[in-house]
Amino acid sequence: MYIRTEICNNCASCIPTCPVGAIYVDRARKHVTIDQELCVECGACYRAGVCKTKALTQPQLTWPRSVRAALSDPVTVNADTRIAGRGTEEMKTNDVTGRFLRGYVGIALELGRPCLGASFADVQVMSRVCAQHGAEFCANNPVTKLLTDTTTGDVNSEVLNERVLSAIVEVTVPLERVPELLTAVIEAASTLKTVCSIDAVSLVEPDGSIPLRAVLAKLGLHPAPNGKNNMGLGRPAFDFFGGDAL
Amino acid sequence: MTHTLHRLGTPESLHDDYVVLAMSGKGVNETGSHVPLRRFMEIALELNPVNAGESRTGNILTRSIDEVMAGIEDISTIHAVYTDPASVATLLRRVSEEQLGISVVVSGLFDRVCSTAGEAGVRQHTVEYSLGVWGQVDRLPNTDVLQIVTMCGHNMVTAESIERAVRDIRQGRATPLDAARALAGKCVCGIFNPVRAARLLKNMADGSAPAARPM
Repeated sequence: MYIRTEICNNCASCIPTCPVGAIYVDRARKHVTIDQELCVECGACYRAGVCKTKALTQPQLTWPRSVRAALSDPVTVNADTRIAGRGTEEMKTNDVTGRFLRGYVGIALELGRPCLGASFADVQVMSRVCAQHGAEFCANNPVTKLLTDTTTGDVNSEVLNERVLSAIVEVTVPLERVPELLTAVIEAASTLKTVCSIDAVSLVEPDGSIPLRAVLAKLGLHPAPNGKNNMGLGRPAFDFFGGDAL
Repeated sequence: MTHTLHRLGTPESLHDDYVVLAMSGKGVNETGSHVPLRRFMEIALELNPVNAGESRTGNILTRSIDEVMAGIEDISTIHAVYTDPASVATLLRRVSEEQLGISVVVSGLFDRVCSTAGEAGVRQHTVEYSLGVWGQVDRLPNTDVLQIVTMCGHNMVTAESIERAVRDIRQGRATPLDAARALAGKCVCGIFNPVRAARLLKNMADGSAPAARPM
């Protein structure tokens, strides 16, 4: 996004609409402007409709900058996964996709959320940790598609300096390897230049139990009292308990 | 996108915050799913949600219901927000009875969602836990602001706009609900809860905001 300074009236109404604080008053130029390095191309300023002179302008983005909009603009549909937003179905359709099987746990590491945004250098810190600990990257995830090597977690060097509002590193590991991975991830989080929201996904057993709970408790991790519940209403239902999933 | 997870707050703060989402699985039951998705939205709207929307078209606070309905396609993710578990139970029961066949996810307090599901005759299939925020947390806004920021999982409701809303309420330029609805308009998906936000904004304006759980 950029501001056409020739028609901008410097009302500054767009400044509070930016989630990452990229819009500011350039004192030297005496103009409201957008820091192109910080702007994640989310479109929030444009959609807010606050610009009376229509000075906010969304150019046609080219690679690699286009990755910013692909992951930051919630109305952009990811070309690979056909999902809007950050482009992953994760557990929302697990009842029909079988993405997270019995005995396995999904771990999602959302770099930049909330509020700060992230660079792909931050993303690579976590993708490398996941690879080092043998986690399997979810195939239908936009971040996975930006990895050049899933055995190392290396991100395509062309996008390393690109910034996004947030990006989700999404992996699965066997339940018994959750402590090892989460311990490593939390340790690595202290080296990030941003924040990382962490979550864990588990299938619920037929008796209603969730083995992951005990694993998290042993690690001293206490999930929030609120979270997401797939209610198993999708059809055709994936067969989780027929034997193959074990 | 984990956009309905990580909503920060104490159980007391979250008692009136339930988001119901529906979508089809891409490449599984996607083709033709706009029909059950639209039916889901019809039922959801009959139960008077405080917000609802389609992920690209927008929410019912900024778009007409006809526009939101027309924007529902096979690839859509749709949402409705309720303040009471009873409405969620009714929605789950009706969707189950009509066998719409699309995936439905409820975000809210786990114990309430679990009992609500039981009332509706359904059960949890897969759960997703928030394990908190790590890293440079010192750079984040205070928890009062974060409770509102995190109601839009795409971060379209900014900390600065919340602080401005609090100032507007204090100075009599807006009511808490008006300010909350204006913030909700920024959340394209329609998962922002304006009723809970109004209460939180009023508490902040009154200087009586309770502390949220630490991250």
